[in-house]
Amino acid sequence: MTLLDVSDLDAGYGDLQILESVDIEVSGREYVTIVGPNGAGKSTVMRAICSIATIMDGEILFDGTDITRMNQAEIIHHGLSYVPQSGNVFTTMTVRENLEMGGYVLDAIPPERFQAVYERFPILEERADQKVGTMSGGQQQMVAMGQALMLNPEMLLLDEPSAGLAPSLVDDMFDKIDEINEDGTAILMVEQNAKEALRRCDRGYVLAQGQNYHEGPGDELLADEQVRRDFLGG
Amino acid sequence: MPPNGSYLPQGNPQYVVRNYYLELIFLGILLLLLVDLLNSVRTGALPLTRLLTFVWDGIIIGLALGLAGVGLSMTYSILGFANVSHGDAMTAGAFLGWSSVFLLVGYGDEAFGQLLLLGVGGDLFASDLGISLFKRPWAVLFGIVATGALTAGLSLLIDRLVFKPLRDVGSLMVLVASVGVAFILRYLVVFFYKPTQRSVAVAPERAAIGLFDGVPVIAASREELVAGESILEFPVGVGRKTQSYLQVTSHEVLLIVTTILLMVGLHLLLQRTKLGKSMRAMADNEELARARGIPTERVINWTWIIGGSCTGIAGFLVVLERGTMSFQFGWLLLLLIFAAVILGGIGSIYGAIVGGIVIGLTTTLSLVWLPEATLARPVAFVIMILVLLVRPQGLFRGRVVG
Repeated sequence: MTLLDVSDLDAGYGDLQILESVDIEVSGREYVTIVGPNGAGKSTVMRAICSIATIMDGEILFDGTDITRMNQAEIIHHGLSYVPQSGNVFTTMTVRENLEMGGYVLDAIPPERFQAVYERFPILEERADQKVGTMSGGQQQMVAMGQALMLNPEMLLLDEPSAGLAPSLVDDMFDKIDEINEDGTAILMVEQNAKEALRRCDRGYVLAQGQNYHEGPGDELLADEQVRRDFLGG
Repeated sequence: MPPNGSYLPQGNPQYVVRNYYLELIFLGILLLLLVDLLNSVRTGALPLTRLLTFVWDGIIIGLALGLAGVGLSMTYSILGFANVSHGDAMTAGAFLGWSSVFLLVGYGDEAFGQLLLLGVGGDLFASDLGISLFKRPWAVLFGIVATGALTAGLSLLIDRLVFKPLRDVGSLMVLVASVGVAFILRYLVVFFYKPTQRSVAVAPERAAIGLFDGVPVIAASREELVAGESILEFPVGVGRKTQSYLQVTSHEVLLIVTTILLMVGLHLLLQRTKLGKSMRAMADNEELARARGIPTERVINWTWIIGGSCTGIAGFLVVLERGTMSFQFGWLLLLLIFAAVILGGIGSIYGAIVGGIVIGLTTTLSLVWLPEATLARPVAFVIMILVLLVRPQGLFRGRVVG
């Protein structure tokens, strides 16, 4: 059953068009990555889905509902949470306050929501009262993901979750994403670290110059000679 | 902005050393001034009474600047522009607030137009209404609330008409627009209320606090205190004479108490409530705040309401304390408010208060050394620049509300 259906999407910023008839589909509980060279428009896809970028044409359906013209508060209400690549935490606020902001659209956040996030990232419970700006990059990334998980979303949009992490932490981060996916949350992820992302995901899209270039199961894309040569560095 | 909050290049020893020396030099100068101050008091060159008055006045000016600065600081960190119309919004709000107090007190006894326009034409005087904290407590309290509400409303209205349509144009344009708003407000005030300075409150109740052998004594006036007729004293000291004293008025005390209460309230709001946290979130990272579903326009409205009412109340209390008002008072305060807010670290409400007190104390204490009182203002700005040389982001770092 299709959870997210992006069809014929033209999008960009202001008058600048970046995406041209992009199609992306994600089923419930599926793990999908978008790879491609710099400037391919990968992040713009994410930003268009959650209505940060300007949508010029096309349609975005989520769980059967048209979310193309919705505002961001309505979109997260429907179960779609976005973790931007940078600036994805409130650095001047504590860990707990960051999580509270993640659940902002709820009238009251049930304590179980905090507990679920703390179980996934135990360090966040230890550091609940610490200002996020004083934490390491890896911990900040956990705060960002924890914040997005506060609403128990059906689908998580992750923009470069491994960016800026120490190499030793990248594997841990991907393991966490696997866990989140296994627990039932669909993932749409953009990654620079294309090989690792394709190895872990169910399906992948290759985006180039704002257009769909290729798609298929992750291991097939990894094995594809042309994709390897053009996008994965041989 | 790097997490440690310094604009200086990291890991460049040259900068680090220079920074460190500057700080030491300034601390040294401050220490020398302090020693000189204490020495003057000891030798009697500076009467203790005079020093006490300077400190007291400095704190009052400082708290008023800080309270007025909170609004400026909040709109800067949440909307990203320096609002030059802030001082004139304070003036306009204070005039509207005082009009409503005049109407409350004098309705029925005096001509409506005279009350509404605070005695334009000169038939109505402050003594006709006799407004002071002890004589008309309810009118004064009403004035605080009304001025806060009216200034909040005015700020919202200006935002709707001018700043909101310009929100996406860029902060320089909004800043220039705010200069225009400042002039419009100022000359609307002149048009309706006329440019004459007028007195609105009668002389406040006074008390003198004296020190006798280190024991504080309170009397109704300086004369009583010196004559030894103190009305209240603790724990002993009946009938003893004292030479050093501090004279305080009910309006000064009201200003201090109200400001402190509002600051505590604001602190609790920002730290404990959902609204306060969403304001901090928006000041921290607007795009992420939006992505988390925080209704940013609503937060902006609340920012104007809270900032506007603090500013209005500061204006009302300053006028009450001085007893007089003119169309320029907010504009004249604005530069000092800017200095206070920048000194404290723009965006921080604690910074606004601490910066305000530093500026306030500077303008009064510098009179100990300055040959002329007119130099006190420039000195406040010299201090601001010196502090910024050492701590480019102000005393309290960061673009944080809270």
